[in-house]
Amino acid sequence: MSLLGRVMCLRTTSTSLQILNSTTNKNAFRCASTKDTDAPLDPKTALARPEELQQRCKLSETITVPTAVDMSPISGVPSEQLKQRRARIHLPPKHAMQSGTSNLKNWQIEFDNRERWENPLMGWASTGDPLSNLNLHFGSKDEAVTYCERNGWGWYIDAKVPKPKKQKKKSYGDNFSWNKRTRLSTK
Amino acid sequence: MIRAPLVKALSALGSPTHQIASRAVRTSAIVAQTPAKAPEKIEVFVDDIPVQVLPGTTVLQAAALVGVEIPRFCYHERLAVAGNCRMCLVEVEKSPKPVAACAMPVMKGWRIKTNSDLTRKAREGVMEFLLMNHPLDCPICDQGGECDLQDQAMAFGSDRSRFTDIHYTGKRAVEDKDIGPLVKTIMTRCIHCTRCVRFASEIAGVDDLGTTGRGNDMQIGTYVEKLFLTELSGNVIDLCPVGALTNKPYSFVARPWEIRKVSSIDVLDAVGSNIVVSTRTNEVLRILPRENEDVNEEWLADKSRFACDGLKRQRLIAPMVRMPNGELQAVEWEGALIAVAKALKKANGQVAGVAGQLADVEAMVALKDLINRLEGETVVTEQGFIKGSGTDVRANYLLNSTIAGLEEADAVLLVGTNPRYEAPLVNTRLRKAYVHNELQIASIGPKVDLSYEHDNLGSDPALIKDVCSGSHAFSKVLEGAKKPAIIIGADLLEREDGAAIHATIVEYCQKLKKPEWNPFNVLQNNAAQVGAYDVGYQAGADRAIKAQPKVLFLLNADAGKVTREQLPKDCFVVYIGSHGDNGASIADAVLPGAAYTEKQAIYVNTEGRPQQTLPGVSPPGMAREDWKILRAISEVVGTPLPYDTLDELRSRLEDISPHLTRLGELEPAGFNETGAQAAISKSISGVAIDVKQKELKDYFMTDAISRASPTMAKCISAVNKQQRQDEQSKQSVAI
Repeated sequence: MSLLGRVMCLRTTSTSLQILNSTTNKNAFRCASTKDTDAPLDPKTALARPEELQQRCKLSETITVPTAVDMSPISGVPSEQLKQRRARIHLPPKHAMQSGTSNLKNWQIEFDNRERWENPLMGWASTGDPLSNLNLHFGSKDEAVTYCERNGWGWYIDAKVPKPKKQKKKSYGDNFSWNKRTRLSTK
Repeated sequence: MIRAPLVKALSALGSPTHQIASRAVRTSAIVAQTPAKAPEKIEVFVDDIPVQVLPGTTVLQAAALVGVEIPRFCYHERLAVAGNCRMCLVEVEKSPKPVAACAMPVMKGWRIKTNSDLTRKAREGVMEFLLMNHPLDCPICDQGGECDLQDQAMAFGSDRSRFTDIHYTGKRAVEDKDIGPLVKTIMTRCIHCTRCVRFASEIAGVDDLGTTGRGNDMQIGTYVEKLFLTELSGNVIDLCPVGALTNKPYSFVARPWEIRKVSSIDVLDAVGSNIVVSTRTNEVLRILPRENEDVNEEWLADKSRFACDGLKRQRLIAPMVRMPNGELQAVEWEGALIAVAKALKKANGQVAGVAGQLADVEAMVALKDLINRLEGETVVTEQGFIKGSGTDVRANYLLNSTIAGLEEADAVLLVGTNPRYEAPLVNTRLRKAYVHNELQIASIGPKVDLSYEHDNLGSDPALIKDVCSGSHAFSKVLEGAKKPAIIIGADLLEREDGAAIHATIVEYCQKLKKPEWNPFNVLQNNAAQVGAYDVGYQAGADRAIKAQPKVLFLLNADAGKVTREQLPKDCFVVYIGSHGDNGASIADAVLPGAAYTEKQAIYVNTEGRPQQTLPGVSPPGMAREDWKILRAISEVVGTPLPYDTLDELRSRLEDISPHLTRLGELEPAGFNETGAQAAISKSISGVAIDVKQKELKDYFMTDAISRASPTMAKCISAVNKQQRQDEQSKQSVAI
């Protein structure tokens, strides 16, 4: 890529940053103004501490960039890492051995797995793949898609449309019911 | 006996009248309990957030609805409520004591506080009692880092210990049990949640585990030392919230923070269980189930979980060509590809391909395209199916009721299949329906233990006609059912009269079918089978043998259906696959392929759901992905296949059959047409119906990977040892 092109790219990014700043300000204003409206009271909002509200307000802001930005020419990532790599956007699966679920809410991107080997010096795992340790979390899959597109990676979404989970009937009494097969024989 | 339910007491008497009576008692009670209309929802408050729930919902479920997770040890979504660990205690306003959230149904207007001082104090107290007798051996415990007790002690436990052993008596210690080669027990760590006991008796249907003693002396175990004899035993490792039950082959191998996890699909049976492959330094260390409500819930069969050490043994790591002296010699890729290309050039279109049970859809398409370009026609699967054009209609070879759908079935007839070992996770669905949906099951075939009660009608094939003509007693049950299902084993349809059996049952299923419910099911037992039929493979290795080809491709074909004697003398056999098994031993050129943990490939499961594996490790040595090998051969022969990348190959798959690339989605197959099959004679021969896998020991080794697995070999010898012991004890009783 020519020097001129690089400069052009830099200029476009700097302008988009300006736009970015202005939108954040607008968002902050909008967030503050929502307090005055008389919408139905959400108990979570009503009971939250002011600093909590402020934090939530900050987190809810989205940064909208008006045009598609391609960072790949200036990101310094070698072109073979851009053309051949494909990101898999997915929700991490629940660990079968644990009951906790709070790590499962964020979308992640993961690249195709490349060879890893045991390092003869310490026995640690080595890899020649610079992207294998990239571990990013996103609030939604659209954010992940935007990120991939901006960085010039191909992507695909690997997630089924979640079906509403059917609530199972749970009853302690079933263990002892005399006429059902749910009765426990051992305990 | 007094505590035994009436139904059991009646059925114990054994006479048919009693059985019918007991059924009547049960059904009448069920009918009486069914509410006439949907009950009104009631409002409760969880941490002051209002939520509408159905009556009978437990506190824990209500909290889950608003996203509040209550800590638990004994409660598990898929098991019965035990309510004995007390970790889920929460405060309810105006209630004098905290309530156990897992067992307590909510009442109207309850205000549940999941984070109040009382709740936190209750949790801290429970935690203190649990830790008082739990050893402090986290640094040497295999569960360390993925332990519920560790996590919850950090989150909800006290920050200091009041445990001072003033009399130096030590903590409670319990002897370890030996329950087999798969599950390691360190019973001192047990916190008595009884999840394993409930899993064994409810899901696996094996009442081997239980509790003895009470209070501080309570122990989980088998009472007498014996094997935990089930094909689902690995799941108790996952269920155990502490390190009392751990993975024996994986013990002291790795820590959870060292390993990388890759979401993939299991291919050792046709269920297509979702798995997570744990790897480190290019080595598969263990396989865990991944939750998928439609396929495997969150269970995994033992073969799928423990056969992963077979991926490191008997592997083909270099291409080999058979020398004039009859020995296979390792060569470079170039030499091997040229040898194959020369043979192909000489063959003049007399080329055939046989796809085995572990072949993926991409490789099968590449093989078919290659053979077609060389003007060959014969591409077949190793396993047979009905004669004629049976694979033209998709509904003819699928499990049409779907795996999740079988849960709702209320009458099932199994014909020539033992789902317990052919597809253990389909069997758990049947068992679930048996326990919760009052499913009535009958089987035609040899007497086998299915882990639930069922009527064995006998193994006479004439019974199929009897049932399908409506004259048999079980026909009434099927015809009266809301969601009846007939499941045929794929092996049965390989018989000479398979087409007649198939046609008879298809015709009967036309009568049984309901809107949105197809009662006709074929239970496949090979992961590659449905995918092969979907891309246009024909069934039966005998077709390839009949063609007498000059070059025969064996794509993962290891079942030994093709032998050297059946082929012409000058036939050049090319084997593409991962393991040195039956296929490689008869081959003239062996091309090392990738196993399912080493490639991104699509497999279609028995209900017709395409799913893809993802590579966790790279193929060993010079082995390559199967479709790439075929692509390379096509280049050397001079008829290059029109795809260079996986994406291009996938778009070719989409051209053949668009459903193949809609991963994870189930394409409804519709109903089977009887018209096309009308010409087939319906005379069923008198040969008794049999199944291949009758006992647990038949289950462990069924394919190239599990045959190479030392753990599976250990399982077989453990089962044999248990059988010998049982026989000895029986003899000593007789004396």
